[in-house]
Amino acid sequence: MMTSAILCMAISSCTKDKTDYKAEIDTAVTEHLQFKEAARFVKDGYTIRINTLNGTFYKGYNEVRVTLEQGSSAVQPEEVYCLPIFTDAQAQQTTGPHGYKLQQQVDSGYFSSYIVFTEESQVGGEWQLYMRFSIGGTTYRLNEPVQVVQQANKNLNMTRFTGSDGELYVIALISPQKPRIAENQLVAGIYRFNRAIGTPAPAEFPDPEQFSYEVVQGYTLKLDPRMPEPSMGNHSSPNNEDLNQRDDGRYYGVVNYTMTGNWTLNFILLNQLGEAVKGTVVPNDFTPGVNGVKSELYLDILF
Amino acid sequence: MKMNAVAIVPLLFVSLVPLCLRGQAVEKDSTRYIEEVRVQGKGKRKMETPLKMTISVDEFLASSQHISFIKRGAYAWEPLLNNMGSERSNLTIDGMHIFGACTDKMDPITSYVESNNLATIEINLGQAGSMHGATVAGGIDLKRRNTAFAAAKTWSGAYQTGMEANNKQFFNLGNVAYADQRFVAEGSFSVRKAGNYSDGNGATVRHSQYNKFNSSVGLAYKTSEQSSLRLDAIFDRAKDVGFPALPMDLWLSRAIITSATYKQLFEAGLVKAWESKVYYNAIEHYMDDTTRPENLVHMDMPGWSTTYGLLSKLTLQRERYASDIQINAFENVSIAEMRMYPQDRSRQTMFAYSWPWVTTRYGGLSMNNSWAFSEISQIHFGGSLGLHENYSKYIEFNRIFHPGASQNKTRVLPSLHTRYELQVKDFLLEAGLGYGHRAPSVSEGYGYYIYNSFDRYDYIGNPDLRNEVSYEGNARISYRKEKFNVDAQANYFHIRHYIIGRILGLGSPMNYQSVGVKGYTSLRYARLFNVSVKGDYTISKHLHWNGILTYARAQDDNGGNLPFIRPLSYQTALHYGHGPFGLQTAVNGDFLHRNYSPEFGEDQTPAYTIWNISADYSFALMKWKGNLQVGAENIFDAYYSTYADWGNIPRMGRNVFASLRISF
Ligand SMILES: [Cu+2]
Repeated sequence: MMTSAILCMAISSCTKDKTDYKAEIDTAVTEHLQFKEAARFVKDGYTIRINTLNGTFYKGYNEVRVTLEQGSSAVQPEEVYCLPIFTDAQAQQTTGPHGYKLQQQVDSGYFSSYIVFTEESQVGGEWQLYMRFSIGGTTYRLNEPVQVVQQANKNLNMTRFTGSDGELYVIALISPQKPRIAENQLVAGIYRFNRAIGTPAPAEFPDPEQFSYEVVQGYTLKLDPRMPEPSMGNHSSPNNEDLNQRDDGRYYGVVNYTMTGNWTLNFILLNQLGEAVKGTVVPNDFTPGVNGVKSELYLDILF
Repeated sequence: MKMNAVAIVPLLFVSLVPLCLRGQAVEKDSTRYIEEVRVQGKGKRKMETPLKMTISVDEFLASSQHISFIKRGAYAWEPLLNNMGSERSNLTIDGMHIFGACTDKMDPITSYVESNNLATIEINLGQAGSMHGATVAGGIDLKRRNTAFAAAKTWSGAYQTGMEANNKQFFNLGNVAYADQRFVAEGSFSVRKAGNYSDGNGATVRHSQYNKFNSSVGLAYKTSEQSSLRLDAIFDRAKDVGFPALPMDLWLSRAIITSATYKQLFEAGLVKAWESKVYYNAIEHYMDDTTRPENLVHMDMPGWSTTYGLLSKLTLQRERYASDIQINAFENVSIAEMRMYPQDRSRQTMFAYSWPWVTTRYGGLSMNNSWAFSEISQIHFGGSLGLHENYSKYIEFNRIFHPGASQNKTRVLPSLHTRYELQVKDFLLEAGLGYGHRAPSVSEGYGYYIYNSFDRYDYIGNPDLRNEVSYEGNARISYRKEKFNVDAQANYFHIRHYIIGRILGLGSPMNYQSVGVKGYTSLRYARLFNVSVKGDYTISKHLHWNGILTYARAQDDNGGNLPFIRPLSYQTALHYGHGPFGLQTAVNGDFLHRNYSPEFGEDQTPAYTIWNISADYSFALMKWKGNLQVGAENIFDAYYSTYADWGNIPRMGRNVFASLRISF
């Protein structure tokens, strides 16, 4: 009896621990689920709060939620507008895709929209938010600088490019923040810059018509996920689905990640006529030992 | 995760074992069907072959005409029963289910025992092997050594030592047992260490070394005149084991196999014995590719397998009717991980499960009956009904290839078999039929990018595969005259929904050596046919001959060949014994592998013949008995590999061996 007890003790535990699967994905990806205050402005006694995930403006796609307070009580404006403007070292002004007019979420008591910041804040490059809201028929305007930081989560990556049609496009990943080794719904926003008509007249409050993107309608984003590391030979996964637009304007597809690690989402953007706007076909060859070929339109992710 | 708490519980609390009281309860006629004679306690026919007295479990199994092997090196050969792999047969130790922890099949459960803690190996073919659970090919039950209670205090034991020159294997095996009227204690240990072997051309086969330690303890207590309790444990450790045919080696594998058995005998009445056992076993298995610097990608591939189970068996007998009725239940969790390292080690590693925490639960009732309804004839019949459930904790892995795959899958596994035996003078005639289902194995159901270095495909399981359904017919004719005995057996399996890997038009390989992805799918059917003839002849008092001829053929539903089907093969041996001296020579070989399967990476393997010879001398040393043996295998140093040598690795060239056994 003693002997067997000793024997059991002798091999009492596994030599190597099993992988903590949850922690495994957490190491590469921090998922932010909480909306926190990213900025607070005061204008004529009104406090404007802008909440984003993790209370930070990141390069790439940001959902923004705006509330107003007067003193300590919430007020409901009739309308809220927000225009992000980036000014570079040459004083050149540009914007990123954004919903200019915020949508009132009656149940939740806030106004919401999105902003895709196309640059990080840097020396000689600054983002300003130009906001306009109306309460009781009075319109208030303000403009405040905000800090935009690097998005550490590559699953929320974005890219900006000029298509074969000469237009400027932005593709920004919206979801999943934290992919799994599984079938994942992939959500992206696809936007096209609306060229300014004429030269913008200098104004205290820029003309939103001069700084706008629109959601492209009825395009298709063909998807080919790969693992481009030399050790993975441009491995791909089965049962992926190209991204197509749904009623909310976003593009939805399916990406299967077969393991954790570095992946490249290779894209081909097709317009309504099925013509390629950008992107190239990635050969199906399994090429261990060399860096995997990528489409000319791609986003790298990591989880 | 701690293994030990759970390990001790069954040991301390529950039961114990098959006490083999002397004059063994009901030694039924059905033992004739059993390959190797069951020997209890200090038996005569132990784990040895005429040619070699200190052999590995694999070498012992190889002496059966129903077993062939897939060999990935010098260690842990995967036994094929009726030319079918381990997922189609029921491999048990004293009826206990144990599942290997290696996705690459480096650890068939035969690798976790040692010849000196086994009494014998019982092989039942086809559905007759369903006593311990569902099967297609049959059952291989490794019977542990089991010393009987003794009228007077008795010590017995043996020590074996020896070496094999080709791979510089040295082994030391010892076992000792104490028995008295109420108590038995026994234990064994074995140590084997071998270097790389050389093939017939004298070239070293790199990565073919191994290092195995095995020990066992058994304690039995007679709780009453008619009952006993027995505790058993086996601990096995393999370290630094090379698998020359695989792209990886084994760094460490450990198994703890424990059980507690209670046995009650009954003198009168229909019920003769009731035996119940609870068991627990755990295996950990860590592969290692740091020994292969040529590999482009470094990977870690650990695996774990943990099983709890119980079985309870009633042995009934009344006049010419005998029956075994058994309940089997077990739960296994199999986990295998893979982690790949990028060339730039500062970058993120890549992780996935190759077995995503797969639970298998089984509960079933089996019975075997035999009824000798006349002096010359008897009928055996039986069957089992089992409920089999799988659960995959991370089913999302499996759903990548099979969207919507079920996380829980429950299957009903029926089995029926019958066999009629007729003794006509010196002839014994038998004919039987069988029908049975089996569930897919963990790899077939849930495997995820398991690289098969034989056909160089990554394999993907399918949780919703249908049960494999076997229809089986078998026949046997044997003739026995004093000096001459010949025994011919044949069986035929028609297997519906035969599970096999087929190229998937989906996905791409994950392992850098792989050329594509195969998914386990069901063929409409496959057919297997096995035939064997075995004979022996006592030429004179001193000279004895035996031989085996086997042939098998297997095809899929398109008439294509199935892989790993043994071509025409033979073994023959001549044994000369005079007084304390023995001399034996044996020849074995395969004919040309005509019916190979290119689809599964097979090529045509040429015929080969191997010649072996050995001599032994028995002596007495006071109260001890000694045996000394020297011999040589493959004396002509033939360079060969068999049809089932993974990646055509060459087998061992000439191997001189010597061993000494002292027993008391
Ligand atoms: Cu292994």
